[in-house]
Amino acid sequence: MRTVTRSFLRYLYRRRSLSLLQLLGIACGVAAVIGMALSAKSALSSFSQAVEFLRGKSSHTLERLAGPLDEAILREIVSDPAVTSFAPVVERRLKLANGDLVRILGIDPFLDRAIRPEISRAPFEQRSGGSFEDSLAFLLDEKAILLEENLARELGLAKGGALNTLKGRLKVIGTFPNPSGEPLILMDIAHAQKLLELPGKIDHVDLILSDEGGFVSRWQEGYRIQSKRQRQETFGAMVGAFRLNLEALSLMALFVSVFLIYNTAMFAVVSRRRDAGVLRSLGASRGEVARAFLSEIALFGIFGGLLGSVFGFLLSRALTDIIGGTISSLYFFLRPTPMPWSWWIPAAGVIVGLGASFLGSLLPLLELSHADPVLTLRGRSGSRGNRRRAWFVALAGVFFLVASIIVLAFFSKQIYVAFIGVFGFLFGLSLLTGIIMVLAEPLLRRLLGGMGKLPGRIAAGNIIQNLGRTGVAVAAFMVALSMSIGLGSMIGSFRESLIWWMGTQLRGDMYISNASDMEVPKDFYAEIRSIPGIGGVDTYRKVPVLYRGRTVHVAAIKADVLQRFARFGWVAGGDEHWEAVKKGDVIVSESFARSFGTGPGSEVTLDGVAGPVRLRIEGVFYDYSTEHGLIMMDRETYIGLYGDRTINSIAVFIDPGEPRRKQILDDVRSRALSRGLPAFTREQFHSNILEVFDSTFAVTRSMRVIAIVIAFFGITGALLTLFIERQRDFGILRALGFSTGQVAGMTLLEAIGMGFVSFVFSSGVGTLLAILLIRVINLRSFNWTIFYYPDWQPYALTALTALAASIGAALYPIWKVHRTYPQMQIREE
Amino acid sequence: MSPLSPTSPIVRIVDLWKEYHENGQVVTQALRGANLEAAPGEVLALFGKSGSGKTTLLNMLAGLDRPTRGLIEIDGKDLEALGEAGRTELRRHRLGFVFQFFNLLPTLTAFENVYLALELAGKLHPEAARAALDKVGLKGKENRYPHELSGGEQQRIAIARAIVKEPALILADEPTGNLDTVTGNQILELLTERCREAAMSLIMVTHTPLACKYADRILTMVDGVITEDEKCN
Repeated sequence: MRTVTRSFLRYLYRRRSLSLLQLLGIACGVAAVIGMALSAKSALSSFSQAVEFLRGKSSHTLERLAGPLDEAILREIVSDPAVTSFAPVVERRLKLANGDLVRILGIDPFLDRAIRPEISRAPFEQRSGGSFEDSLAFLLDEKAILLEENLARELGLAKGGALNTLKGRLKVIGTFPNPSGEPLILMDIAHAQKLLELPGKIDHVDLILSDEGGFVSRWQEGYRIQSKRQRQETFGAMVGAFRLNLEALSLMALFVSVFLIYNTAMFAVVSRRRDAGVLRSLGASRGEVARAFLSEIALFGIFGGLLGSVFGFLLSRALTDIIGGTISSLYFFLRPTPMPWSWWIPAAGVIVGLGASFLGSLLPLLELSHADPVLTLRGRSGSRGNRRRAWFVALAGVFFLVASIIVLAFFSKQIYVAFIGVFGFLFGLSLLTGIIMVLAEPLLRRLLGGMGKLPGRIAAGNIIQNLGRTGVAVAAFMVALSMSIGLGSMIGSFRESLIWWMGTQLRGDMYISNASDMEVPKDFYAEIRSIPGIGGVDTYRKVPVLYRGRTVHVAAIKADVLQRFARFGWVAGGDEHWEAVKKGDVIVSESFARSFGTGPGSEVTLDGVAGPVRLRIEGVFYDYSTEHGLIMMDRETYIGLYGDRTINSIAVFIDPGEPRRKQILDDVRSRALSRGLPAFTREQFHSNILEVFDSTFAVTRSMRVIAIVIAFFGITGALLTLFIERQRDFGILRALGFSTGQVAGMTLLEAIGMGFVSFVFSSGVGTLLAILLIRVINLRSFNWTIFYYPDWQPYALTALTALAASIGAALYPIWKVHRTYPQMQIREE
Repeated sequence: MSPLSPTSPIVRIVDLWKEYHENGQVVTQALRGANLEAAPGEVLALFGKSGSGKTTLLNMLAGLDRPTRGLIEIDGKDLEALGEAGRTELRRHRLGFVFQFFNLLPTLTAFENVYLALELAGKLHPEAARAALDKVGLKGKENRYPHELSGGEQQRIAIARAIVKEPALILADEPTGNLDTVTGNQILELLTERCREAAMSLIMVTHTPLACKYADRILTMVDGVITEDEKCN
């Protein structure tokens, strides 16, 4: 190794505490990216595995456009020449007594053999713990089920056990493995029809076709036929926005990491500047100095990447569950299995570590290789007199801000471009940190002077005099805190918008059932309607349909009931829209209107049982139930369109002023429970939705914490560098009679000062970030409007975090002060 | 008296100016038409008050700083015409530097600090580095780090680092400024002796009258102009 390079690399050992902090900072950044990527990958691949597992080897699926199929259709399918194999399926979710919702699959084990051989064999396999009698029981005993083995283990059930559900007690006759990891209950299709009260009905038929074209030409009217590829595309689109959000969060973590690495590299530049001057005076070229510095950065990148990959792998174990929970709440019941360890993980860690390191080191590297040797040989000139420099950096920041605003204003239709715009905006603001610190100097002097007298004033001076070191640390911390405020405010605003939306749409006094694949018997609906004192009962039916090649949802409601009891939030207009809806027009959600560029007065054409039907859009309403778009119509219009009379859930509205409200609701609840239907009061229903919402943002919260931890290492590193670089100053302070306690206090106040400036700046930047996330990113990702609700909580939480991180960051440097200050001398070398 | 040397010079500067500007206005003139010639193997002591332009002159001679106008020739080569790469090459092979605050690399041992200069010059001879340390009296301390040595010892390493590649010219910026009188004397003796042995020219900026004893010529810099003195004042 060249001596020039060696001279740089030895700093890593010589300043090992600092090196360790820098390494941990990079490792945390890499861990965030790797952890998020791994968990997203495992959750999403489990998602597609689960979907594929359920669909088996089928090449196509036949469904009705809406609602279940009549099983009489099987007679026609069996005689269709294009059909090689087929298997009817009842696929629903069943609520267990413990509250969990689990997928139940009703299959015909004989017909299913060609489609899902693993599943169809399960009832007859000895390894599932079954015998010939058990196999017969699967076919003969109407309560007999097979349980997926992980679910059985989790519930502590084995062969012979009983599974309690809202539909009664089921008998476990064996278990079976499910490679996709999804909890599953298997039942004979005839028993499932009986259990779920679907006599003569099936949900879909899985097919293996020999002639797709011929089959489609015969069955396209009134049915939906989806090929395997179309199915994958549909599911891909379903989780598209979710995937994008995960990617964005990873990018945010990476952004903070790159910042930290920039921070780290700037520290290295500061301490190597003089050496670079010496080397240049001895004849080292700019390239040699740059290579020596790069080798140091590369080492950080490689080892930080390796360590980060291990941290990331561990993090992914926790995040996978969280992401799985979110997917389950929003799209598809899933219990993802974390990715196993692979040597690709450290390789990816090193690539991310190196990439981020080189990116973060680019500017410092340019600075170091172009450092004027005459100035650097003068000693500590690099960090002094850099107020003018702060103005130049601020100018660059303004340039980035203007460029980002242009991108956001004119080119942000593409979500990735929008992200670039937001990151550019954040970067531009971070470049203003130096100048903000210069401008904040009087305030800082007063604040720290007030807190710590003379050491406080010196601390304030130190922060400003060493802008080269402190500015970058404050910028990194500011970015992390801004993300905390921005994400916190965005989540808070979204939550408030959701609460407002629930208050407008979900005003029922009681809700019976709430899942789109559950069914409320029609006679139960009639029974509830007949209870005296009930003002209205809204029936709700929601089905996915294809519209212009994309999956959207159609919801059927009772327009007259909602007209009376609901207070929809309309994008334009008001409750007068209901009159038209009652006559056959539809209303669409904001996400639908934005996705397809439609609005009031235009038409949507939907494929009905009798062919395409054009429906006029009467109004557009705010909605957060699905980002894919919702078309809402009166139940009569829906039945006319699809012939589907299924009811997924009902909302019960008690007459206003009815004195027996509580008794009526208790009566409704007991009637629902007796039918195995879950019943929720409005408060419970709202609280369930909020619970789903909160779990959806659990990952975002984790990323906020990681960003703070990364920034914490940045601040500690900055303080430690200040301490190391200013040993001569400390020698002078000691000669002047400063006690160890005073110097330690000064160090603490420097940390608090940096934390204070970071927080104050981040309050503004975080607010702007929240507005950008709400107005640009969310709108582009989900096509819905979130209303900005100012809330003090994210600010208070971030202030406390900043204070705690600042104090925590000062602890190690303070310990160093206590250990070394009493021996310090005034010396140059 | 003109500070010009009668023989073919290793250093020649003619009408050298260095001005510092701020907002388009000249705020400082560090050099104001300086002239100088130094012959091979000649030892020059350059005196002058703080701010008179001595260090600026050394930085220009080393090609680290560039003049506003005027000519600098080292070894017959015009520094301005050499370009950045050429000046770097010149520093590697033909110039040695000794600083007041030693400027050793703190992360390298005494041996490595000296060997560094050889390595940059493309002379991969570790024994030469050891011999240079031996010549400056640091035999046995090759593996010590700078912070483990006294100021005098550190300056000896710096001298070894400068002489090891046997450059044509050594530039010394107050080499005794950070040392006590006895050590300073030893350092000056060592430095001048080694320069004369290897026919290396030495230009040392200094404040110490001790330098007069070792210098062939005494120069004084006043307000950016060099004048030659007969003897030390």
